[in-house]
Amino acid sequence: MDFNLLLIIGGASAIAFYMAWSIGANDVANSMATAVGAKAITFKQAVIIAGFLSFVGAVFVGPHVAETIKGKIININVISPETLLLGFISSLLAAAIWVTISTWKEMPISTTHSIIGALMGFGIISCGVSSVNWGQVGFVAASWVLSPIAGCILAFLIFKIIVKLIFSKDDPVKSAKIVGPIIIGFTAFIITSSLLLKTSLSKRFDISDIEGVIIAIIVSIIVGALGIYLLRNIKAKKVEDYLTVEGIFRKLQIITSCYVAFSHGANDVANAIGPVAGIIPLASNGIMSVKADIPTALLALGGIGIAIGCITWGHKVMKTVGERITILTHTRGFSVEFAAATTVLTASKLGLPISTSHTVVGAVIGVGLARGLEAVDLSVIKKIVVSWLLTLPIAAITSITIYLILRTIII
Amino acid sequence: MVTEKNHFRAPIQDTIRRKSPFEQLIEHMSKVRECIDILGKGLIRYYTGNYKGFSDITKKVSKLEHEADIIKGNLRNHLPTHLFMPVDKGKFLWALREQDAILDHAENLAHMLDMRHTKIPKSVQNIFIEHIKTVMKTVSAMEDAVVNIRDLVETSFIKKEREQTKEFIYKVHSFEYEADKKKYDMTREIYKIEKNLKPMDVYHLLKIADWVDDIADHAENVADWLRAMIAK
Repeated sequence: MDFNLLLIIGGASAIAFYMAWSIGANDVANSMATAVGAKAITFKQAVIIAGFLSFVGAVFVGPHVAETIKGKIININVISPETLLLGFISSLLAAAIWVTISTWKEMPISTTHSIIGALMGFGIISCGVSSVNWGQVGFVAASWVLSPIAGCILAFLIFKIIVKLIFSKDDPVKSAKIVGPIIIGFTAFIITSSLLLKTSLSKRFDISDIEGVIIAIIVSIIVGALGIYLLRNIKAKKVEDYLTVEGIFRKLQIITSCYVAFSHGANDVANAIGPVAGIIPLASNGIMSVKADIPTALLALGGIGIAIGCITWGHKVMKTVGERITILTHTRGFSVEFAAATTVLTASKLGLPISTSHTVVGAVIGVGLARGLEAVDLSVIKKIVVSWLLTLPIAAITSITIYLILRTIII
Repeated sequence: MVTEKNHFRAPIQDTIRRKSPFEQLIEHMSKVRECIDILGKGLIRYYTGNYKGFSDITKKVSKLEHEADIIKGNLRNHLPTHLFMPVDKGKFLWALREQDAILDHAENLAHMLDMRHTKIPKSVQNIFIEHIKTVMKTVSAMEDAVVNIRDLVETSFIKKEREQTKEFIYKVHSFEYEADKKKYDMTREIYKIEKNLKPMDVYHLLKIADWVDDIADHAENVADWLRAMIAK
């Protein structure tokens, strides 16, 4: 490997690290803010949980989405390696610039949408419209609309379950001690199975899918039983003791916030390291292969970037957002987090890059529609749709500009 | 209102209204409660001919009415169409409006009584006192109904809590009915002794009966709008 290639990979990794930092600082932090705002966990705990679990999610479940970004958005077989190399770098740079500007301006854009838009722009300018995998892009775009809706429906259902099985009962506290841990057990099942089905972890320990499911079931039963055991001493203080129910969910919310951080890492790490994953084989031996595994070191770099983002800037984000949304009580926060994390993790396993913050908004609206919130501002939907429509062309044009500049300089 | 930029993207913080509208309604309610408490106690002293300190009470009532007005304005001006609430916003605003009408009537009553110290004849004093006590009970029952909104919201309007609110509303209705009956008794008693009184006194006594009873009427209206709000 000569010096120039080292420089390219080093530079690209640096931008990727910056993107990861930005994701950690912003997206993870505001997804965890519900738990912090509800005082289920402290800022310090949130930062540590978010940093660590985003890292775990990124390293073990991250490759699915990274594959999509690396090799499925643009048709890499029709573009020459040199062009691809330039394209990935300009896309990454364009996404990083747009994310920085929109963050400064506080627009509800998504890093995911920026990187996809940037890649599309580069694809179109380098080898024409046909070099973009429009089918795949359509699929991804559909997932952007579907993910908030899925979050909304799931949150609606979970909250309705909480109302029906806990609040409507004669002894809500007693029901909460059973129903809460069962949902947590279910959460443990989803996390464990996502870690063990078709991941590097299952390959290393040679775990088949069925074995993975069995392990996940065992883990979920243990977690559920442990939850019921730990909550056994909580007693209702009066007949309609909704405060104690909220107290139980405050404890359970610690688990769902971990769930959010984990899912978030799994999905969003790809936005930062996906393009670099494409560059590494190109730079080292000039061929682009979809098959080439994404190096764990690169996933770890993304994971560390997210973790550092959480620790440095995320503190401020969590504090500010948390203070603004204190109206979200523990049962509501629990529903929102469970719904959003489940949607994001499912999308990650399917290799779909989606926006976590938009899914969280969908989940909040879902709880609102279930009559769980006192006032939900639906104008946010308009803002999000506008951000979708803006982000794609802006990221694309930025990427095209950078690509053209780089091409004139280098070639 | 200029919001300070924090330089991060967090669409979730725009999704949820910062202040709870129901908590604000309850806050407004507590002003009503405080006002009726002060005015009721003042009225009982006034009825027995003790006018000392009534001007202070009038001032306090005006102050509370003004504070409540600010809460009402804040609440009403920040419920745009794109805000989704678990209850009908129109009915919610009507409940607020009726709650505010209680304060308007209380303020009006206090000022009118303070302007002209009308002597309440011995023979009707007792029934006047009983009447204001019933009116105070109506408002207090209404407060129970309004405060129960907290549980309704927390449990997302389950049947059990709706039934409980309905019970409080029935209480408001029965107290209001009692207050109405007392008002007719008062009017009847006043007509009985009209020949011994100056015409202006008769006018004022009848007016007091009306004004005080208006408070109970509006408390009942609040309860009715609450009932409509929680109807499935």
